[in-house]
Amino acid sequence: MNRRQPITILIAALGGEGGGVLAEWLVEIATRAGHPAQATSIPGVAQRTGATTYYVEIHPQTRVELGGRTPVLSLAPVPGCVDLMVASELLEAVRAIQNGFVSPERTALLASSQRTLTTFEKLAPGDGRFDSERLLQVAAANSRQLATFDVAAAAREAGTVPSAVLCGAIAGSGVLPFARAAFEDVIRTSGRGVEASLRGFALGFERCTAAVSVGPTSVGQGVDGVVEVDGGLKSALQHPDLIAQGHARVVEFQDAAYGELYRQRVERLRAAEQLADPQGRHGAELAREGARFLALWMAFDDVIRVADLKSRASRFARVRAEAGAAAGDLLRIADHFKPGVTELAGLLPPSTGRRLLAWESRRRRAGKAPLGIALKLRADSISGFLALRLLAGLRPLRRRGQRYAEEQALIERWLAAVEQAAARDWQAGFELALCARLVKGYGATNERAKDNLRHIVEHLAHKDAADIGRARTAALADEAGSGLDQVLLQTGAPQRAVKPVPVRWFKRQASRP
Amino acid sequence: MEVSFGKEVRQLRLGGGETLHGEGILAITKALLQSGVAYVGGYQGAPVSHLLDVMVQAADYMAELGVHVEACSNEASAAAMLGASIHYPLRGAVTWKSVVGTNVAADALSNLASPGVMGGALIIVGEDYGEGASVIQERSHAFAMKSSLLLLDPRPQLPNMVRMVEQGFALSEACNTPAILQLRVRACHVRGSFECRDNVPPAVSRKALLAEPARFDYEKLAHPPATFRQEKLKTEQRLPAARRYIVEQGLNEIFAGRRSVASDDVGIIVQGGLHNTLVRALQQFDLADAFGAAEFPILALNVTYPLVPEQIADFCRGKRAVLVVEEGQPEYIEQEIATTLRRQDLGTAIHGKDLLQMAGEYTVEVVAAGLVKFLARHAADLPLAAAQDWLTANAARRQAVAAQLAAPLPPRPPQFCTGCPERPVFSALKLAQANVGPVHVAADIGCHSFATFEPFGFGHTILGYGMSLASRAGVSPMLGRRALAVMGDGGFWHNGLLTGVESALFNKTDAVLLIMKNGYTAATGTQEIISTPDEEQKAGAPDKRLSLVDRNQTIERTLTGLGVTWLRTVPSYEVDAMRRTLEEAFTTDAGGLKVIVAEGECQLERQRRVKPWLASLLKAGQRVVRVKYGVDDDVCSGDHSCIRLSGCPTLTLKDSDDPLKVDPVATVIEGCVGCGLCGENAHAATLCPSFYRVEVVQNPGFGERLLAAVRRGVIDWMQPA
Repeated sequence: MNRRQPITILIAALGGEGGGVLAEWLVEIATRAGHPAQATSIPGVAQRTGATTYYVEIHPQTRVELGGRTPVLSLAPVPGCVDLMVASELLEAVRAIQNGFVSPERTALLASSQRTLTTFEKLAPGDGRFDSERLLQVAAANSRQLATFDVAAAAREAGTVPSAVLCGAIAGSGVLPFARAAFEDVIRTSGRGVEASLRGFALGFERCTAAVSVGPTSVGQGVDGVVEVDGGLKSALQHPDLIAQGHARVVEFQDAAYGELYRQRVERLRAAEQLADPQGRHGAELAREGARFLALWMAFDDVIRVADLKSRASRFARVRAEAGAAAGDLLRIADHFKPGVTELAGLLPPSTGRRLLAWESRRRRAGKAPLGIALKLRADSISGFLALRLLAGLRPLRRRGQRYAEEQALIERWLAAVEQAAARDWQAGFELALCARLVKGYGATNERAKDNLRHIVEHLAHKDAADIGRARTAALADEAGSGLDQVLLQTGAPQRAVKPVPVRWFKRQASRP
Repeated sequence: MEVSFGKEVRQLRLGGGETLHGEGILAITKALLQSGVAYVGGYQGAPVSHLLDVMVQAADYMAELGVHVEACSNEASAAAMLGASIHYPLRGAVTWKSVVGTNVAADALSNLASPGVMGGALIIVGEDYGEGASVIQERSHAFAMKSSLLLLDPRPQLPNMVRMVEQGFALSEACNTPAILQLRVRACHVRGSFECRDNVPPAVSRKALLAEPARFDYEKLAHPPATFRQEKLKTEQRLPAARRYIVEQGLNEIFAGRRSVASDDVGIIVQGGLHNTLVRALQQFDLADAFGAAEFPILALNVTYPLVPEQIADFCRGKRAVLVVEEGQPEYIEQEIATTLRRQDLGTAIHGKDLLQMAGEYTVEVVAAGLVKFLARHAADLPLAAAQDWLTANAARRQAVAAQLAAPLPPRPPQFCTGCPERPVFSALKLAQANVGPVHVAADIGCHSFATFEPFGFGHTILGYGMSLASRAGVSPMLGRRALAVMGDGGFWHNGLLTGVESALFNKTDAVLLIMKNGYTAATGTQEIISTPDEEQKAGAPDKRLSLVDRNQTIERTLTGLGVTWLRTVPSYEVDAMRRTLEEAFTTDAGGLKVIVAEGECQLERQRRVKPWLASLLKAGQRVVRVKYGVDDDVCSGDHSCIRLSGCPTLTLKDSDDPLKVDPVATVIEGCVGCGLCGENAHAATLCPSFYRVEVVQNPGFGERLLAAVRRGVIDWMQPA
């Protein structure tokens, strides 16, 4: 280590993780050891869970060695001149890398492997998450040494905050010229929650040491040669029995006869694929992926299905575990339902149901609020539980209902379109099969999703496979559909119909003359 | 208040010879006491909030010293407070965030600067510029120039910052001029140490009262004709006196160069606050050592206004070229230096903004890039390769990483806290707009401005703190649909009441105002305001989890007192009620000002009392009900529409356990405070029924255990797996 240049540590954290305390500890450790040290931060952004950084500089010589001279320390980190980069979250580590702070020659990188998703990533109706694998690869490829482990999990395990774990990891990284005891001494005198902090420190120390010795080889390869793998396809490779699973889902949803209908439909997909790809060069991917989304679609979530899922013993156990309830604790579970005209109409015979829906839509156009009963059902009370089981018991009615008829009609249309497209081009058929992924959500979201699918089936099914794929990706990226509109425009397909919005009038009163 | 400053308050008592370890802003606070300050005021805002917060929490010690501390209602009232130093030998200090706070204070500052002061007056401003800044990017420097105020920009090392506070008061008194001491964000938060001196109790104070007011003296009024003479005094007496003091006391520092000062040499003039950055930039060239000794001389300006022409000329004389390192624009210092040299007919070349970037923060990289150009032109014998290579490598690395990432990293702006009472209001606004059509939203300063980020994206304009209602005055008459102004209670009291409400009522304009009544100026660190619920109410509340802001009706009484007739108060978590109220306000035939008060106490403040309360109950073995929300992942279809209505940090995504489902499903993670928004949204927006609310009863009573056992028995008997 250069005896004249300061040791530099950059910490990336999110608001509320204790980054400020960590920086304070590091300064204290250095100060006690006789070294000039300084920390700065930009807490303005940390305010309310934003990303922020803390920066620490420690002079390698002690005050005694310096003999009264005062080193000038920098208030801000300098790109490429960071010795230790610490990040409590993976994306934030990579953000620091992108900002140029981390140097592959100089910087030891200590990053939590865990992701705290940004709001931006959570919004997409599909999967908007940044690829973690890629983040890890970038982290490994651009640092001198990479140590990763799940800091948040370690903090939970120790019952403390991430800063204590990170402090242990910093000690374990060996970048700072201080013994483990020096770190622990400072934590010990810091006041609150000392025992938990020390537990977290020990875990951090241990896991960082282990992670450093393993090295980054497992993730360090092939940044340049990363193959784009769709999340869905990746898991498809891991679950070759999707058709069996789909069948089981559909039978569980309704009955064996409905399962038979599923089989027949899958057969049609298979047959279409057989024609389009007789050599099986695509590994029967169309049928498999089509069967996946077909099963989810056929087992659509109606009141009956939801009531059934919500009243199972396995569900009660899961809620208990998620709530972190201890053995003697009591649990009260309240479920939020708001059955409306749509749900009721869905259970009625198609003609009656459709009349009811038309009536509701007239009411809506007149500017009235949708009818619905907001219910908070206590699933753990006897009456609430019975209500759920009663609803679940309506299953035999389902096949005669309007919702069932509507879903089957659209499924048939989609299936036929897939067959036609596949007859023309396997890829087009495949892309169209994947479009069933759009169908999800409840109420208005479900309506919008199905409208989008209907539009694609009607106007894009005969286009290039690439166009269909782009339309699907766009529809899954934003709910408003502005991306989809753009794709439609580019492909020359007609625009989606504009949703009517009631016009409201109000009197405007004159202001003061 | 969000943070407890117990340790900091103790450090304020440190005596001579003891060492204070802490942040820059704490050192400044201690320096005020060492300077015998008699009164302190200000308005909170990053990065200087802690100065006032520490002072407020140190009330007992301040009383001991006789120091008066006032949490002012805005910066104008803080600046006006300095009027105490016009007639009396009182040292006063006020603080705020700049440039915005200085804008608000400008009227009072002008009227203070004109008559000048007898007691030292110091304004500590947090110069919110560059990384982490939350306000418009302008310089406070202009205010010093236009009002002839002194401007200190200390080299950011704690001992020097403390010295500049002490000298700032003395300088202010030596030239009867108020002084601004500006601190950049990182300087406020720099953690270091300095050797203390004893605190000086003020000679005149709350404990040592003046018997009589000052005699009437028209010359001390900012009123004509005195103002004409005062302007002359500024340039003929006060600024010259300031310059003399600056030179005599060596406030600006000259660091001699290691190179022999030959006639053809170069030098750098730098704002004190940028000195450390400059040194680190020079180190990239190997032109400075670890202690700041550089190859050539540096003049560090701890006082950036006024400059001392003789000092500047002396520094430049005999040098071939001088670089001015001055952050922000326009380049006031550089222009003044150029004028000085021209007047004195010195041939030294002056560089600054021609080689350094005009706008934006001066980081080490930015300064180094400017130095490369400067040295290449005027000191080509110096080694530049190392720095050039370093700059090139940085750029190449960023480019390579961007290519490896293939997609831009998603940003992570600040957002509403978990359980924030303001989030549900914007969920309701999103739903209301779906029904009545989009409306023009005049946004404001405060936590609610986070609604400009995803998933809401609301707000057409931000015109300043408390300005939202005023800023839509010209918009509403031109729009077919009513416009909405959103304002926090902080902004309401800061000035929204007068600039917005009074103006709208007087003009009888048709307007909708939504007030976020969370009880505090939450964004700046939950400082208290006049409508904050009392401490006694907090202590006496049987259930400490409940919002208590309804206990203080000051806002509602003020509004009705002014003549607001259409006033609705809606608990902010009731999304559907809020949606209906918003729709009514947008469509009612009632004209005039319509005010909706969204009532819900700041969740940070609630949690501050809830956590210790629950812990104490559990410790005593008492019954505690913990609420959390959850998502049934087999019901969740992964469309994420709940997230697009909420954006809560604890409502996030996870991989689905279901092998058939490709898209991630929603999940509620640890940290959920059970605010109820998930359930409210599920109902108000008819979202999916996958949300559940679970109450965990710890230490349950015998009766409820029995009931639960009976229920479980019955349910177990009928329940499918």
